[in-house]
Amino acid sequence: MAHVVLKDLVKTYGSFHAVNHVSLTVNDGEFVALVGPSGCGKTTTLNLVAGLIPVTSGDIMIGDRIVNDLDPKDRDIAMVFQNYALYPQKSVYKNLAFPLQMRKLTKEEIDRKVRDAARVLDMTHLLERKPRELSGGQQQRVALGRALVRDPAVFLMDEPLSNLDAKLRVQMRSEIKRFHQDLNATIIYVTHDQLEAVTMADRMAVMNGGFLQQYDAPAEVFANPVNMFVASFVGSPAMSLVPLEASGSGDTAALTSAEGWTLPLSAENARKVARATSRKIVLGARHSTIRLHKSAEPGAIPAKVYTVEPTGDITFVQAFLSGSIVNISVPASVHVSPDEMIWLEFDQARIHLFDGETEMALKAA
Amino acid sequence: MTTASGRAEPSRTSKPAEPGALRLIWQHRVDYAYVLPSIVVMMIVIAYPIYYTIDLSFFKTPPSLQLRDKIFVGMENYGAILQSDVFWRVTWNTVVWTVASTVIAFALGFGAALALHRDFIGRGVLRAILIIPWVISAVAASYIWKWIYHSDFGVIGAVLVELGITSRPPNFIDNVNTVLPALIVVNIWREFPFAMIMLMAGLQTVPDQLLRAAKVDGANAWQRFWHVTFPHLRNVSTVTILLLAVANFNSFIIPWIMTGGGPSNASHIWITHIYELAFGRQRWGVASAYSVLLFLILMTLGYFYVRALGGNESKDRGT
Repeated sequence: MAHVVLKDLVKTYGSFHAVNHVSLTVNDGEFVALVGPSGCGKTTTLNLVAGLIPVTSGDIMIGDRIVNDLDPKDRDIAMVFQNYALYPQKSVYKNLAFPLQMRKLTKEEIDRKVRDAARVLDMTHLLERKPRELSGGQQQRVALGRALVRDPAVFLMDEPLSNLDAKLRVQMRSEIKRFHQDLNATIIYVTHDQLEAVTMADRMAVMNGGFLQQYDAPAEVFANPVNMFVASFVGSPAMSLVPLEASGSGDTAALTSAEGWTLPLSAENARKVARATSRKIVLGARHSTIRLHKSAEPGAIPAKVYTVEPTGDITFVQAFLSGSIVNISVPASVHVSPDEMIWLEFDQARIHLFDGETEMALKAA
Repeated sequence: MTTASGRAEPSRTSKPAEPGALRLIWQHRVDYAYVLPSIVVMMIVIAYPIYYTIDLSFFKTPPSLQLRDKIFVGMENYGAILQSDVFWRVTWNTVVWTVASTVIAFALGFGAALALHRDFIGRGVLRAILIIPWVISAVAASYIWKWIYHSDFGVIGAVLVELGITSRPPNFIDNVNTVLPALIVVNIWREFPFAMIMLMAGLQTVPDQLLRAAKVDGANAWQRFWHVTFPHLRNVSTVTILLLAVANFNSFIIPWIMTGGGPSNASHIWITHIYELAFGRQRWGVASAYSVLLFLILMTLGYFYVRALGGNESKDRGT
């Protein structure tokens, strides 16, 4: 196993910057998820690490070597693809043996390694089958096996679960996590599903528009998103963001809505707002931190219910607040109906404040 | 699903007395009504001529008699064919013509498809140019090549003399040894674009991720071709080869226009020979017997074609 360092990595296609000055370090044995919406540059970054496309500038280090100019086969990596990329005409055994044959190992060595990998992944009984005779989950396990036999320094995984159905995805998620724990493998895992990143990764790198937005442990990214993009991308349902206007200062600092209400701010939040570049402030709050009242309460703000989504144990209420949709979760015992007036109480210690111009999170000091 | 299997059942089991079969046909009477017009047309233009040809192959049709006064001779036509030297000569020509044309046209088409699959400047123009032989009329092409090969005025002869390779222009198509290869060259020139187009289409469906996986697995360009691209093209290759083989077996225009089968049958293949027997010498019976034999051979090829189209992939082309 080895660590991976990306230094100021850039990839351009003509004038389009697919990857923009990305720098990050993946420690030995760490599971890092590259996550972001389509076209954010995460797969391009992975392909750069794999050596499938040439870098425009910057350095990639695997272990202590700079691998920029090495062929994929010389980088000591293994890759798992979204649609498994198994060789359709070869049996499972031959699929697993292929990378070893390419390395000119002896027949006995190949056989031993293939059977070891098959045992680890519990698919010895599948060795003689063809890929098309396997289920999606089994195919993905073979793809993992083909990466495993190589005993690579780094595993690269490109959305390996997105072709599976929801139930199987959850199951394979824990299998890959187990795989990581058992092998203590260095894994770079690309996904557009923030839930996969949050549940599996030691650290997650959130990307957007080719830029690395935030690189931290999932809990930290969840608790302290650095900007509005990360805030709205991580978490399900996403953090609600309400553009408001700052008013007053010091003890009278508050957020004012065009709807006429004001939300007084705590001293700490007032200090945050004072650091903003303009009076435009975006209020962010996660669904679980907002309290819903069915009648007017001091400090609570009036809103109108848009939709109600019961999920069984909790119910998600979406409400219109100052022109934006706000998500609130309530116990299933609370009943509200669309178009009903409700009052929302924000927890001053747990709200997020963003600069309306720069979209960056505001900090107290 | 139920309709499909229900409809296939009566014809497959061929037990008309089964009470279920008739009822199933009745239940699907509208479906049968829809296919009826094409069945009727096929009966008239395909089934009847086939029947009539088989029938005619048992008769002798002397040029002095009218066709309705034909004389029944049983299997005599078949016997005469199998005993004649011309038959074996023509059969050998047909095999050489079909195999050589098919294999070389496929190989050239494969090479051209691989070359044109890469991105380079002028690819579109080159692709358009290479398709020309396939789209121009075979008759026109035959006449052009006849002039190219011409012993007095041909370009090839002139170039060879000019380069000092020969003192006199070679006579390609009036020589029993060179006429068939000369015609095969023309046929290949006309056909390789077809193989090229088929394989280019096939190449576009090779999954990119599979090639990337092979790259990461350490396969070089040749190994990626052999382990990923080539197996992926197996089905389209089979279909292409079979279509080429059937087309070559049935060739008529190029040999007929360029040589008419001569000199001394050296470039006769089955179709031109049958045509000459029937319409040149009015030996309808013998020509019909030839046609029946040809029909049987082509049906065999057709059987493999349909099987290939069915995507029978169970055989492992091991590595």
